Amino acid sequence: MATLRFPLSRIEGHARVEMEVHDGQVVTAHFQAIEMRGFRYFMQGTPAEQMPVIVPRICGVCSTAHHVASVKALEDIFEVEPPDLAKEIRELLLLGQLIQNQATSLFIFTMPDRVGASSLFHMDESEANPEQQLSLARRSLKVRQVGTNLITLAGGQFIHPIKAVIGGVTSGIQREPAEAMRQEIETLLPMACQLFDEYWDMSLAMGERIGTWGDDQPAYYIASTGRTRPLLNSNLIRVLGPDGAERASFPPSLFRHYLDYEETVYSYAGQTSYQGQVMRANSLARINLALSMGTPLADGYLEKLTHTFGKPAHPILLFDLCRGIELVYAFERALEILSKDLDYEDTEVPYALKDGEGYGLVEAPRGPLIHHYTVKNGLIEDAEFVIPTVHNMLAIERALKVAGERYISPKAINLELEKAVGRVVRAFDPCIACATQ
Amino acid sequence: MPENSSLPRFAVLQLSGCAGCEVSLINASEWVDQYQLVYMPLVVSTHAVPEDTEVLLVSGGVRNDEDVYNLRRSVEIVERVVAVGTCAISGGVANLGDRDEVRAMFMAQENRHHLPHLLPKSHPIDAFVDVDLYLPGCPPTPELFMAALTNPENFEASSIVCSECKRQKLKDMRPEHLLGFQQGEVQPEICLINQGYLCVGSSVRGGCRAICTRPGHPCVGCRGPSDAYIEKESQVWFDRVQNVFERLTDIPPKEIQTALHSPQLSLFLFQFTDYADGERPPRPKEKVL
Ligand code: SF4
Ligand code: SF4
Ligand code: SF4
Repeated sequence: MATLRFPLSRIEGHARVEMEVHDGQVVTAHFQAIEMRGFRYFMQGTPAEQMPVIVPRICGVCSTAHHVASVKALEDIFEVEPPDLAKEIRELLLLGQLIQNQATSLFIFTMPDRVGASSLFHMDESEANPEQQLSLARRSLKVRQVGTNLITLAGGQFIHPIKAVIGGVTSGIQREPAEAMRQEIETLLPMACQLFDEYWDMSLAMGERIGTWGDDQPAYYIASTGRTRPLLNSNLIRVLGPDGAERASFPPSLFRHYLDYEETVYSYAGQTSYQGQVMRANSLARINLALSMGTPLADGYLEKLTHTFGKPAHPILLFDLCRGIELVYAFERALEILSKDLDYEDTEVPYALKDGEGYGLVEAPRGPLIHHYTVKNGLIEDAEFVIPTVHNMLAIERALKVAGERYISPKAINLELEKAVGRVVRAFDPCIACATQ
Repeated sequence: MPENSSLPRFAVLQLSGCAGCEVSLINASEWVDQYQLVYMPLVVSTHAVPEDTEVLLVSGGVRNDEDVYNLRRSVEIVERVVAVGTCAISGGVANLGDRDEVRAMFMAQENRHHLPHLLPKSHPIDAFVDVDLYLPGCPPTPELFMAALTNPENFEASSIVCSECKRQKLKDMRPEHLLGFQQGEVQPEICLINQGYLCVGSSVRGGCRAICTRPGHPCVGCRGPSDAYIEKESQVWFDRVQNVFERLTDIPPKEIQTALHSPQLSLFLFQFTDYADGERPPRPKEKVL
């Protein structure tokens, strides 16, 4: 038995892949989270009201999702419903997060794979034309910056937002900065589309070169998005079968009835399944679960995708293309919200501290995120974080095994395997800090 | 950015943290034209800090044996080491778990195979190596990152957050109780203390441009104590903030005192003094940006 070890980069956090190979057969493919954060342990005893400011520190990449999920969990316990203005500003926050994350995954994490470079900042070493690629890095960062600016505008702080509070938000958004942000998005939307077009072409070329879009079998899909169009701030989780039929729809408080959670000895992260079946969360799940994007440009891209790959679509590398569709969607949707009046008085409703148990759900870039708190005497007695990356663990390992089988034979190991491992893992865009919170 | 250009080379070592520091650095994209990024696992596929690296930014605390190994090995080959963010400076948010029962829960994870071994607590990096510059913030803003990389000496910042916040402190708006962090509607341009919020900006170092207090959330002190308190015991800091509140409000002193001892604040405020088992002297303020 031989063990192959693959260190991983261009993903969030510390992880590696270990494959056991015997006689040219892949016996196991383990995706190992090699760090451990432990928030569940050390949040115990924290004043409940401070959670929305502390928990974004679980992960600087997904901080906004944790911020909003935390506020929602406490609102569930204190039984308050935020006003509409607060909901719009929170949606903007989540859109900012989606833009920042999808742009990072597309351009910083996975674009280098398409041209064989070590990073976006080293694209000139690759086979691509240096002049063009250099501008690629600058343009990518500009598009990504839109997400950061939106988070800052709607969330106050730029990494660990502070503006969502129990019962609402600390303030609205004044007309002038809202208009400036709207203009920035409008100006950069064509650039985002152009980059995505280039990315799409690079992906096609890569698919051609390696001869596959990921040949794993179909899976279940999980997301808390809407049926007809994307939702990031809903209160329902939905599950789709491999055939495209909806199998379940449930509020976050019932997640244990539908999802099975297990720990492993080889990783600091656990794994969940849908009643024993492999499921997938993240962009491809959302796209498979919603009928349309509800905005013109994004719908155009969706049509192009569905035309080639059908729906539900299953090939793994489509996760990446779906991220691009969502990037365009988030730009367009943010434009819609920023055109409204976001500067009126009705920012929040009062609440009273109270003990109890509550759930907060948001659709984070990586899938449905649940915060589940129990509060006693105003302090956190238990804080459970149900993490999207954990829903993808079994799917990642199954896809890694398939990739291993493709490139390992009794005679030799094709050197393409190391690259394939990177491509598979990055398609799922796992977040290890969250997975080991 | 050709690979062999004469631009200075910098690397980012990510230990155990939330990656927020790295995200902030990516936001500070101006370095693209001035520096060559040679190592940073989040964005570059290379597996070790290469020779000839000038500046090493370290983010995250030291949480397991692999962190210790990577840290020791990386500092050997660089000229300048910068500790970036609360986690690298103090061990960070994970130190909320520096209590016996939590340590025990961490240690109970030891039955896993082939994984780095966890240490009982998250350590600051200077418990293992020498640091040339401390860059506090959770995370430091892109502007602070650029200053640390290019010319820390010439960075202009106010000594405290209040001076960058510019909300007005009123003599005649005296709350009788604290509102907590999350309650009530925030009025623009009036100091949050006058409105009953526990804002500690009056003794927290400036440089962040008051990004939290401007939109209406109290400062929780992620930049750490200002130069006046950085080398002092935490009690001096407590007394000072208590004073500010007693001057501006009619809130009972006991109520303020209890609130000031909250986990959220202690996490950030004592990043420079109460660390590494209390055996080392506080960090010199000259080394803190
Ligand atoms: S200092 Fe703050 S932003 Fe930086 S790694 Fe630690 S928790 Fe994250
Ligand atoms: S709100 Fe806070 S930072 Fe601003 S002036 Fe008042 S005390 Fe200072
Ligand atoms: S206002 Fe306070 S909490 Fe916010 S970034 Fe500045 S120092 Fe940190």
